[in-house]
Amino acid sequence: MTTSHAPAGAGQDETAGPARAVALREPVPIAIRRRPPDASGAAERFAPTDPPRGWDLARYPRVARALRSRRFQFLLILPNQIIFWTVIFVGLLGTTIPGLNFGTAITWYIWFCLVFVLMVVVGRAWCAMCPFGGFAEWIQRRALWQRTQRALGLGLKFPEPLARYGFLLPVATFLLLTWIEEFFNIAGPGTPSATSYMVIGIVSSALIFFLVFERRTFCRYLCPLTALIGTVGSMGSVAGFRTRDRSVCLSCQTKDCMRGGADGFGCPWYTWPGSADSNLACGLCSECYKACPSGNIGLYLQPPLTSVIAPRRRRADVAWAIVLLWGLVLYQQFNATSLYAAIDTWLNTRLGFPHYPDPVAYLGLILAFALVTAGATGLIGRLSARPDARLEAAGNFLDRKTRFRAYFLPLAYGLIPVVGADYFARQLPKFFQHAPRLIPAVEQAAGMAAIHSPLYRVRLLSDPRIVAVQVATIAAGTLAALWSTWRISGRELAAVSRRPVVLRAASLGLVLACGTVAAALYVMINAAD
Amino acid sequence: MTQTVTDAGQAAAGDDQMHVTVLTDRCAGCQECIVRCPAGALSMDSARWVAVADDALCVGCRQCERTCPFSAITVRGPLAVPARVEVARPRPDRPEGDNGEVRPGFGSWDEALAEASRCLDCPDPTCVRGCPAHNDIPAFIRAIRERDLAAAHDVLRLTSVLPDVCSRVCDQAAQCEGACTWSLAGGTPVAIGKLERFVADNAPVPPPAPGPGARAGSGLTVAVVGSGPAGIGAAWHLREAGAAVTVYERDPEPGGLIGWGIPDFTLPPEVASRPWRQLTAAGVRLRCGVEVGPDDLDGLLAEHDAVILAHGAPVPLRLPVSGADLEGVVDATSFLKAGKTALENGSLAGFRQSYGLPGPARRGGERARPMVLVLGAGNTAMDVARTALRLGLRATCVDWVDERFALARPDEIAEARGEGVEIRFLRTVTGLQGEGGRVRRAALAATRQRRAGRRPRVLHGAPELLDVDLVVVAMGYRADPALAGRLPGTPVARQARGLPDRRWAGSGILANPAPSYAHGKPVGRLALGREAGLAASALPFQERVWAAGDALVGPSTVVEAMAQGRRAAASVIAAGPRRGARRAPRHVLVAYESRGGRTARAAGLIARDLRGTGAVVRAMPLAQVTPAELADIDLLVAGTWVEGFVIAGVRAARATRSWLAGLPRLAGLRVAPFCTFAVSPGQALASMRRELEGHGMVVVAEGAFGPRARHIEVQAAGFAAGLRAAAWPAGPRAGAGAP
Repeated sequence: MTTSHAPAGAGQDETAGPARAVALREPVPIAIRRRPPDASGAAERFAPTDPPRGWDLARYPRVARALRSRRFQFLLILPNQIIFWTVIFVGLLGTTIPGLNFGTAITWYIWFCLVFVLMVVVGRAWCAMCPFGGFAEWIQRRALWQRTQRALGLGLKFPEPLARYGFLLPVATFLLLTWIEEFFNIAGPGTPSATSYMVIGIVSSALIFFLVFERRTFCRYLCPLTALIGTVGSMGSVAGFRTRDRSVCLSCQTKDCMRGGADGFGCPWYTWPGSADSNLACGLCSECYKACPSGNIGLYLQPPLTSVIAPRRRRADVAWAIVLLWGLVLYQQFNATSLYAAIDTWLNTRLGFPHYPDPVAYLGLILAFALVTAGATGLIGRLSARPDARLEAAGNFLDRKTRFRAYFLPLAYGLIPVVGADYFARQLPKFFQHAPRLIPAVEQAAGMAAIHSPLYRVRLLSDPRIVAVQVATIAAGTLAALWSTWRISGRELAAVSRRPVVLRAASLGLVLACGTVAAALYVMINAAD
Repeated sequence: MTQTVTDAGQAAAGDDQMHVTVLTDRCAGCQECIVRCPAGALSMDSARWVAVADDALCVGCRQCERTCPFSAITVRGPLAVPARVEVARPRPDRPEGDNGEVRPGFGSWDEALAEASRCLDCPDPTCVRGCPAHNDIPAFIRAIRERDLAAAHDVLRLTSVLPDVCSRVCDQAAQCEGACTWSLAGGTPVAIGKLERFVADNAPVPPPAPGPGARAGSGLTVAVVGSGPAGIGAAWHLREAGAAVTVYERDPEPGGLIGWGIPDFTLPPEVASRPWRQLTAAGVRLRCGVEVGPDDLDGLLAEHDAVILAHGAPVPLRLPVSGADLEGVVDATSFLKAGKTALENGSLAGFRQSYGLPGPARRGGERARPMVLVLGAGNTAMDVARTALRLGLRATCVDWVDERFALARPDEIAEARGEGVEIRFLRTVTGLQGEGGRVRRAALAATRQRRAGRRPRVLHGAPELLDVDLVVVAMGYRADPALAGRLPGTPVARQARGLPDRRWAGSGILANPAPSYAHGKPVGRLALGREAGLAASALPFQERVWAAGDALVGPSTVVEAMAQGRRAAASVIAAGPRRGARRAPRHVLVAYESRGGRTARAAGLIARDLRGTGAVVRAMPLAQVTPAELADIDLLVAGTWVEGFVIAGVRAARATRSWLAGLPRLAGLRVAPFCTFAVSPGQALASMRRELEGHGMVVVAEGAFGPRARHIEVQAAGFAAGLRAAAWPAGPRAGAGAP
C-alpha cells in the first residue's frame, strides 16, 4: 500500500507494513480502508485454551512436510477406504457366520473400540481418515488429493434454522442409527449383510449431502458419529490446527484458511484456527495449514482435558448433546437388565409394536436419563446461584443465558469424561471376547475354512475380568470428570454462587453419582449374565 | 432513514424491518464482516467471540453476507437507500443536425449532493475494484459531500487523467456502478459516473504537474507511439515524473479514438481536446502526421531510452461477403470522421455528396431519407447509426448476436432506438447487391445464438432483401498486423486465470456473479480479467519497449487504455532504461523453490551478497512472485532444487518448471539461474536456460551447488561474484556492504 501512486487513504489500511525500499506496485493498487479488527480482550479470552507455544508438531520439518503434502489426508483415508469397501463386499458376499465374517469382525470387534481410543487420545483423528466423508469429499472435490477450484454438486449452505441447533442434529441421527442397529441387531453382530447395508447407507447419505451442500456439511451437522467424536474427543491431547500468532490471523486480508487458497481448501469444518478454543470441530484435515499464506498455523498438542475444562464459550447444543449421549449409553446398559425387558414387553403389548426396542421406551428412557442429569445440574444452580447474578435471557438456542444454563452448560461439559469412559467400557467386552477372531475372519475371507481356528474361540479376558476393566475404565473416567468439574466449577461457577464450597461438593457429587450408576450397571449386567 | 425506500422491491408488506442473523454455531469471529460493514452495525462479542449485529444501524447492503467466509450471517429487510437521482434526458424531436450532447450530467449541487449521500463510503470498496483505473471512488464522493471539488480532483488525478472523458463514455453499469455495494446487493448503485462528471464539469481538470516522484524520470527520453487514451495516460504520467516525452501520431490531430471515434453528441469536442491542450502546454512534444511502422522501431529506440507502443487497434475487420467491394460500402472509421467534420461544419449536403448519397426527396408525398445499413450493433455501430440520423439519414443496424449478449451498452441501444435507429439482432448480411457498381440492396439471413460467447449459427431460408444507399461496416477492429508482429503474444487475453487475488474474493465483488443492474454481466470476473491487461502493460515486450491500450489487449475501452498507459509509464520510470551501455541492475529479484532449505539458504546468501552492489534485492519463494513483482526488476536470479533419480532424469523441480513455463515474456531481462543438487544437476540448468531464453530473457550467469552443505557459502559467493562481473558492466562497488 505504500506505492508511488497509491490512492489517498491507502495508508490507513491497518495492515500496511513498513515502506518498501523501492516503489514496486501492488498487484491491486486499491484503496482499502478496512477497520482495524477488534483484538481487545483476545489475549485474555484465548489464554486458557491456547496450547503451549512449544507444543507445535509442525515445527518439526518432517511433520511440516507431511502436512504440506496434498496427499497427507488421502493417504490417511486410503487404507480405511479399502477396508470399508472390503467390509461392504465381504458382508454381502462372505460367510453368514457373524464372528467369522471379516466385515462384522473388524467393524464391531476392532473398529468401534479403536475409534474410542483415538477419540480419547487425539480427538477427531477418525474424522481425518474417515472413509465415508473421505469418499464423498473426493467426489465433491473431483480429486483424490489435488486442490481443485470447482466443486461438484449444488454447494448449498446448510439452512440456518437447522444449523443453529449445531450438534443436536447429529445426536438425533446417532439416536436413529442406534435404534436401527438395536432393531436389526447389527452390532451384535447380527447378519453380516446388515453391517454392509448400514455402511452403504452411511456412505450414500454422506455422498448425497456432500453433493447437495458445501464443504463437510454432512460431517459437521449430520454424521451420526460427529457429536460423539466431538464431545468425547475434547478430552484428547491434540488441540488441532491453531494460530501461531493471533494478531496475524486477525489482520489477514485473505482468510485463505476459511475461503480456500492456492494450496488448500477452505476449512471443510467451518473452523477458524484464529479463534478455535477447543478441538470440537477441527477435523485435522490440514487444509488450513496448507492454505495459510503466512505460515501462521501449527498443529498443536495440549494437556488432556483442556478442551473440556478451558473453553470460555459453553455451547448449549454441546451440553444437550452430552446429556443425551449419556442417556443413550445408560439406556444401552439398562436394556440388558430384566427390568428393562419387562418395560419393553409391556410397552410393546400396549402399543402393538412387535419388536425390540420399543421406540417409546427407547426415546423415553434416553430423554429421562438426560433430563434427570440436566435437572440435577439445574437443582445445583437453584441451590447455589447468587440472586444478584446477572443473566441475559435474550438470544437464540445456542447462546441464550438463563440461570439453569449458567450451571447446566459447564457442568455438562464436566461430565464428558464419564460419558466417554462409559461408551468405551461398553465396547470392551466385544474386544476382549472376540478381537482375535479378526485373524480367522481374514482367513475365511481369503477362502480358507477358519471355523476351527483356535483363535476363533480365544478370549483375551474372562468375563469377570472384563467387568473389572470396565469398572476401572469408568473409575478413570470419573476421576477425570471430577478433576474437570472441580476446575470448571471453580473457574466459572464459584463467582456466581452463594456457597462455592457447597456448589463444588454438589457438582462433584453429581459426577460421582453418574460414575457409580454406570459402574453399578456393568456389575449388575454381569451378575445377571 | 426517513427517506428509506424499497429498492429492487425487496421489502414485502410487513417485512420492512431490518434483521441481521448471525449463525453463532459457525461464526468464527474472524471479523471479515465487521471490518467491512459500511454502517458500523456489526461488532464483536468478545466473551463468545462471535459477531453481533445492531439491526437499527443496518442499511441492508448485505456486504456482510458477501464477505463472510463461512456464510454465517444473513440479512433480511429492504435496501435502506434513497432513490437514485435521475436527471431528465431531453430528447430532440428530430436529431438531424443536432450535435448537442445527449446525456446530461447533474445540473446543480443539490442533485450531486443528494446522489453523493447515497454512497456508503464502504471500508473495502468494491466499486474501486470494478473501476478499470481503480479510482478511489468513495474518497472523491466524500469530497463532493464536503463541497470540495479541488479535493475530489486531487483524488481522481492519482489514478485517472481523463475524468471528464471517462465519466461520459465509460459503461459504468459493467464497471464501477455494477460493482457498487448497492448493485451487488440487487439494488440501484450510486451514479458514480455522473458524480465524476460533476467534478470534471464544475472544476477544471488539473494539468500535468510534478508529483512527489517528479524527479524519478528526469533525464529519461521516452517515445510514445499513438496519442489515444493509452498514449495520453502514458505521456501524462511520464511528464509528471519529469521524463522528456515525444508522442508520434499518424493522424493530423491528436486524441486517437477520443478525437475521431466518439461523436460530439457523446463527447463534446472541447472535452475531447482538453487532454492534449494540457499535455502540449506541459511540454510533451507532439508529432502528428508521423506514421510509425515496424521498421521505424529501432530508430525510435536509438533516439529514446524507452518506447511505449500505444498505437491502438485501428484496422477495421473486413466484410467477408460478396459485394463488399462495391462503391457505397465504407468502414466506420472514415464514416465517423467525415460525419463528425460535417456536423461540426454544418455541411450535411456536402457529406451526402461525398458519399454519393441522394438528397432528401419526396416519394409518394413523404420525405424519404437515404438508408444507411450499419453492420454490427456494438458501441461503434451505435455511434455510426446515431451520427447517420444527425446527418439526415435513416439507419438500420444488424448484428448476428442475440440482443441478450449484445456488445453495446444497453442504455446506448435504448437511446439509439429512442432516436429512431432500427436495430435488428439475430440477423446477418449474406451478400450485397449493386447496380452500376454501387451498392443497392443487402441480403439478410436470420441467425441463432443460444449462449453468450458461442458463435451464432446462420439459419437457412430465403434471404430478406433490404434497399440500402450506404453500408457502413462496424464489425470491430484489430491492431495493425505489421506492428503487432513486434509484440508477440498480443492481443493479451483479458481473462482471469487461476485463483483470483484473495483480497478480491474477500471484498465480496465476486459473490454476486451477475448483478441485475449490470445486466447480468459478471462484473467481478470482468474486473479481474482487466487486471491481466494491466499486469501485461507493466512488463516490457522487448528490451526498452512497452505496450499499452488496444495495441496490447485488442479493442477495449478508453479507461482501460488510459490505465494501461499509466501503468506502462510507471514501469518505464521504475525500470529507468537507458540507451547505449547497459546500466547496473537496480532492482534484483531472487526467486527460489526450496524443499529442504538449502536452495532457500543459497538464495538468501546470494541476495545478501548482491545487496553489496547497492541494488535493491529481494528474495522470495517462486510461489509468491506475482507479475507486479516481475514488472520492475532488471535482474532475475532463479534458483531451484532438482528432482529425478540420482543421475538419470534429473531436472528442475516440478514447481519451478511450471513457474518458468507460466512466465510472461520478459524480453531482454537479465537472468541468472542456479540449482542445488545432491548427486548431479543433470539437465536442470540447461532446461532452465532454454525456458528462460524462450521467454526472451538473457542468461548472464548460472551455477549448480553441490551437496557439501558446509560449502554452500563458498559456492553462493562464487556464483554471486560471477554474476556481479557479468551483470554490472563497470564493476560494482565491489564488496561494498557485502558480508
